[in-house]
Amino acid sequence: MLALRLARGAHPVVHLRRALVTVASAGTGFLLLCALGHALAHPYAPAGSALRLAWCAVPLATTVYFAVAVARTDPGTRPRPGLAAIGLGPGRLMAVSAVTTALSTTLGSMLALLFFLHLRGDLTGLPFDGHAADVLAADRHLPVPATLTLLALVPATASVTTALSLRPRGRRPEDAGRTADGPKAVWRRGRGTREKDPAHPGGTDGRQAGQRDHGEDPDSSGAPARARRGSTGSHALSEALALCSSGTSAPWTGTVPDPEQDPYRSTAPQPAPGGLPWGVAVLAAGLAVEMYASRYGTAPGLALPGGSAGGPAGVLGGWVLTALGLILAGPGLTHLCGQVLQAVRPGALRLLAGRVLQEEARRIGRPLGVVCAVASGTYAMATVYSGARPHVGPLTTLGALLVTGCAVLTLATAALEARNARAETTAALLRLGAPATALRAVALLRAGALFAVFGPLTWTVAELAATPLTP
Amino acid sequence: MVAPPDNDVLWARGLTHAHDGSPALHSVSLGVRDGEILAVSGPRGSGKTTLLRCLSGQLLPQEGEVWFNSTPVHTMGPLTRERLRRDRFGWIDPEPALVPELTAWENVALPLMLRGFGRRAAKTAALEWLQRLDVGGCARKRPYALLHSERQRVVVARALVGSPTVLFADEPTAPLHRAERGHVLRTLTAAARSHGITVVLATHDPETAALADRTVSLLDGRRVRTVHLPQPAETEGRAACSLSV
Repeated sequence: MLALRLARGAHPVVHLRRALVTVASAGTGFLLLCALGHALAHPYAPAGSALRLAWCAVPLATTVYFAVAVARTDPGTRPRPGLAAIGLGPGRLMAVSAVTTALSTTLGSMLALLFFLHLRGDLTGLPFDGHAADVLAADRHLPVPATLTLLALVPATASVTTALSLRPRGRRPEDAGRTADGPKAVWRRGRGTREKDPAHPGGTDGRQAGQRDHGEDPDSSGAPARARRGSTGSHALSEALALCSSGTSAPWTGTVPDPEQDPYRSTAPQPAPGGLPWGVAVLAAGLAVEMYASRYGTAPGLALPGGSAGGPAGVLGGWVLTALGLILAGPGLTHLCGQVLQAVRPGALRLLAGRVLQEEARRIGRPLGVVCAVASGTYAMATVYSGARPHVGPLTTLGALLVTGCAVLTLATAALEARNARAETTAALLRLGAPATALRAVALLRAGALFAVFGPLTWTVAELAATPLTP
Repeated sequence: MVAPPDNDVLWARGLTHAHDGSPALHSVSLGVRDGEILAVSGPRGSGKTTLLRCLSGQLLPQEGEVWFNSTPVHTMGPLTRERLRRDRFGWIDPEPALVPELTAWENVALPLMLRGFGRRAAKTAALEWLQRLDVGGCARKRPYALLHSERQRVVVARALVGSPTVLFADEPTAPLHRAERGHVLRTLTAAARSHGITVVLATHDPETAALADRTVSLLDGRRVRTVHLPQPAETEGRAACSLSV
């Protein structure tokens, strides 16, 4: 109920974001149901249906990614003094976030089911009644368990991922040498000076946290338990990627996770994200695999749903590796952008733009990498389809739209999150009399720098990835 | 509209403001003379911050006038007020609101760079001010690595570096311990006096107010001559304990 009440009183923009999650979830649910419809219509060709189902993983992943990003930005479920005062800590708020996400995604699934039934002709009274009845096997009975399982996939994945990525992390007080003031105070400390602390308006608490967290030995037993809300790349996958790329500490061994990975404590500078070499290596490997695989011409092909055959499996593997490389390289490249931007004798504009970009590299870079990966994939697909096989099925179009939309919206959400996180500093700058135009110019400069680096990179990767596919 | 007296650098008449209906200021008038240090004192919630924000042009009062050097501030557009704040006013927050990504000297040099000064000139001025305020050694550190009092001194340097005509300090020493508080305040007032900068200092601390030339007292959003708050009586509602038990 609390989740509903908090959700109801939100700003229209927040409602819009949730509605977009609902739409994305509806689209993915519809694709999943269409795979089911295909299986019903072709009971003796399970391979094709399984392939369709497997292809649904891509929209599913981007939908979940977007849902988690929206949940992280949701102001209704961020830890805040008003709720902390009545004892709602990060643990309960995580549950509230998960429930809110589950609500919007379930709503989407219901919409998908309605639309699906409507297209099958089970529901009547609207245009396009039973328009796809033959394709979706309207003459056969729809199996309820299968439908429910497929429809529950998006809500379950999204809310579990949200809960996992927003769970309060850190050692328990007994592990942390029993700090005197209990878990709640510890949590506040973990948040640092970013959030206004009602009990300590001076922010001395955050100062202490900064000192201890970034002292010489962050893992010493005297360090306070550190609760973190969310990881840098806004979902569990990104954390796994970050762990892979840094290759240092593993969360399951019981050591304290890297304090540098908390985007909500920006008092201390974050070290440069280390994924760039890995990203470049994976990218190069992906391109190499693709080239190598395409030498054998049309080997046993993996068909893209939509009626047309795609490239061979090796080429697809190459694509996946390329996308992974772009995602891994995103934060590092963003950091590099910032570094270059503020490099040689910067004025106020370049200084602010560059340093902020360096600081926000993790938050912005990962979704940016995803957008680049999706863009290069889309470009390659467009090249393929504009060539010998001009026919694109409606479901493929829907899937592509879903993936692109989710990636772009996630990037926008991450940018919004970064802006919210910096709101206090911006307000302080405005109090100083910094012109609003200058701040806007700083933001434009950042966006321009990112575009100047990532645009050509994406284009190059897309061209290279599309080369073996063009006849 | 009555033109203000000539010797007042800042002059306000009948300032009235409410934050979304909650009254903050009610008909406050005051004049700030050139080069003086004026303390605005009063307990928390008495409207000090709102008064300072109205005087510095961050907030337009709902009623009343603000004049700066015989120029009306309350009729200016937002852009003009912004330029006025940038060029003629300095502002110190109760909490050291530094830009966390910049080093101490870059933070101090930022107002100058925003005004269009060259990097070298801004850096020289910033380093000088940091030296003057005894935090020259922290120039290359980022705010997270500084002590709270050091940060507050960096903020003071940032407010003073542009040689403002009027410096607004809103409880500049509230989060500090007493020893540091005295030190920061003395450096602030000394620097202001030696450079002829007018200071409007909001404080709830009588000791801090004692450093000022003149004190204006606020209570519940009104200007009062002296603040005589009733002494808290015996704990209310508790039955008097009897010794004969």
